[in-house]
Amino acid sequence: MGFKPRVLIAEDDPDTLVILRINLTAAGMETMLAGDGRTALARIEADRPDAVVLDVLLPGIDGWQVLEELHTKGNAVPVVMCSAKDNIYDLQRARELGAVAYLTKPFDIDRLVEVMTEVVGMRQAQTSEQAATDIEGIDLA
Amino acid sequence: MGNRPVEPNRVQRDARIAGLRDFQTPSLEAVERRRRQLWVRTASALAAVAVIAVALTTLPSGATPTGTNRALVVVLAIVGSFFLWAFHKQAALERLTRSLTDERVLTAALTNRLHEVSLLLDAGKRMSAHLELDQVLDSILRNACELLDATGGSVMLVEQTDLVTVCALGRDAAVDQRMRLGEGVAGYVALRREPVLIDGQVDPELFPGLVLRDPYVESSMSTPLVHRAELQGVLNVNAPIGRSFTEYDLRALSVFAEQASIAIANARLYEAERAHVAALLDLRKRREVG
Repeated sequence: MGFKPRVLIAEDDPDTLVILRINLTAAGMETMLAGDGRTALARIEADRPDAVVLDVLLPGIDGWQVLEELHTKGNAVPVVMCSAKDNIYDLQRARELGAVAYLTKPFDIDRLVEVMTEVVGMRQAQTSEQAATDIEGIDLA
Repeated sequence: MGNRPVEPNRVQRDARIAGLRDFQTPSLEAVERRRRQLWVRTASALAAVAVIAVALTTLPSGATPTGTNRALVVVLAIVGSFFLWAFHKQAALERLTRSLTDERVLTAALTNRLHEVSLLLDAGKRMSAHLELDQVLDSILRNACELLDATGGSVMLVEQTDLVTVCALGRDAAVDQRMRLGEGVAGYVALRREPVLIDGQVDPELFPGLVLRDPYVESSMSTPLVHRAELQGVLNVNAPIGRSFTEYDLRALSVFAEQASIAIANARLYEAERAHVAALLDLRKRREVG
């Protein structure tokens, strides 16, 4: 049996959660869900996913706070940020906090699957290394 | 075709494997109970095996070593099968836990969304209950503060090239204050027609003409009030000390602002109609007198 990457989807919108789950599962990934920031942090800690799709808009603590918390704790899980904003400040902030990609909504689902496949592929290749480094070739805009 | 994405049958299959046959969809609590049960059985089996092993090795001298070895092999085979069985069940329970947690997350997300929509609907109803502009503005501000647990805020309306504070909560002194469009945070929001979340220190370069408030507000949000592409004003809310607004709150405020804009437009329409009727009545009175 081959490597089945585990991806945590942190998103508050139930429809988007289901759509992302369907597509990432179809792409051969095992998915876990979180509907708010605290659950996302708890599941990252407990289930140790190989990558995270993190929406900025989360109730309780938002995506930025989750990313900051991971950054502070030195958790190297690769995070792909999703946001409706496409300004340069948010892009820079995501980079500084260690996100490996930044996708703006509404995003092309195929593009997201492509990015996630690349991210988990690299994660698999560098399991013992620092995984939160910027991934070359991924369009951060 | 790849893996099946949503698998209601998988939950049932795992529940069956784990020995939770009575459940159509087992609860997380039932899974935990079953897991504990499995551990107890495994521990009991281990204890039984230990007892049997001790009994076999201390058999009376009449028993042959070959017979003892054979019995030990049988016991070991049973133990191995038992552990395989337990491992299989444990793996099914693990999968069940993950699936059920995901279902809970989905349910919670749906519940949150419904709660949010219902709060916004209630706030919209309360705003629409008024027709006088002053009352509408007051209702907008109070409902926005209640919705977002804000301590105060203000509503600013556009007057030519200025923004005028027409309603304020928490800072009465702010009423009637004027600022030009493009000045400060509210001016920036009005000019760009995009909501802004402030958390921590504000960059004065980003907001020219910014006047720092006293006492300083750590976290605040401002959103434009736009109705049918016409800018009506800006709604500002301030977070209590020690709490920071998030992007999630900003989205809620933006959705709320859409309803608030409609309420303002309706109140203005009502005012205009009332003025129109008053003018007509006045005209009629003059004609009658004349």
